[in-house]
Amino acid sequence: MKKIITSTLATGLMLTMAHAATERVMTVKTTVHGMVCSFCAQGILAHFKNHASVSKIDVDLGRKLVILEEKKGASISDQEITETIKKAGLEAKKIERTTEAFETVKAAQ
Amino acid sequence: MAHPVAFQSAWQWMLGGTPSMQNMELHYSYCNRAAVGIHAMHFEDDLDDTFFGVQHNWLLKRWNLSDAQANIYLGAAAGAARRENQSWSPAALTYVRADYETREIFTAFDSKWIASEDVSRAVTSVSLGFAPYKAEFEQLNSWLILQLEHISGMDDDFAVIPKLRFFKANYFFEIGYSLDGDPLVNVMIHF
Repeated sequence: MKKIITSTLATGLMLTMAHAATERVMTVKTTVHGMVCSFCAQGILAHFKNHASVSKIDVDLGRKLVILEEKKGASISDQEITETIKKAGLEAKKIERTTEAFETVKAAQ
Repeated sequence: MAHPVAFQSAWQWMLGGTPSMQNMELHYSYCNRAAVGIHAMHFEDDLDDTFFGVQHNWLLKRWNLSDAQANIYLGAAAGAARRENQSWSPAALTYVRADYETREIFTAFDSKWIASEDVSRAVTSVSLGFAPYKAEFEQLNSWLILQLEHISGMDDDFAVIPKLRFFKANYFFEIGYSLDGDPLVNVMIHF
């Protein structure tokens, strides 16, 4: 009986942790080359703003970064990010994911 | 002013010129390396040449560098042209552009040639500019640019045009005044 209770609790804990992981909101930082002009970089905004997995976007010309916040429980793949930035005429060089809040990443220098 | 190819699925509308020459373009970038659209030009002098055509633009080469971008574009249009009071005849336009830009420096070479039975024109310009501050994505961008322009077939065929360029979001605006006293205005919108 003790074994069954322990096993049930462990399974429940694992399921809760897995659910929490999928519900975690990730912030994605992409280093982009060629992004020197806000007029030319409008394509980034145009293509990401309607993406089903993206809730917030920031373009930081100084740090050459496109910062995305993924929607809760959703994810955008590295390939999708690379392709979307290519549609905007630019080049994704490095993609990093962090659990830091979007606003924190945006405010960092 | 020219943005022959924008980002994929974008329309770009460009309108502007001087009292000597007016230019209008509407292009759709069906991918990130090519656009198709219409192009009209009018030369306001004794000859009063006008061109109208359907144009295709190609981004031949783009260098996306860490702190800069450089491009080579090519364009070709087929349409009709006429000299004042004469009939329209088939005409072609070819276009080449090369530019290099950082967040502080802008350089561009731009040339258009129009040829038909009656009309022969070439408009060539070189632009050098700098930004007095590095604007962020959501800020108003301001540039000081010196444009040297040559229009073949005109009495006063060479112009030196200091101009101011501003852009924010999808809106781009230029205003200038040539050393001969002619105003220049250009507007460009992406949508």
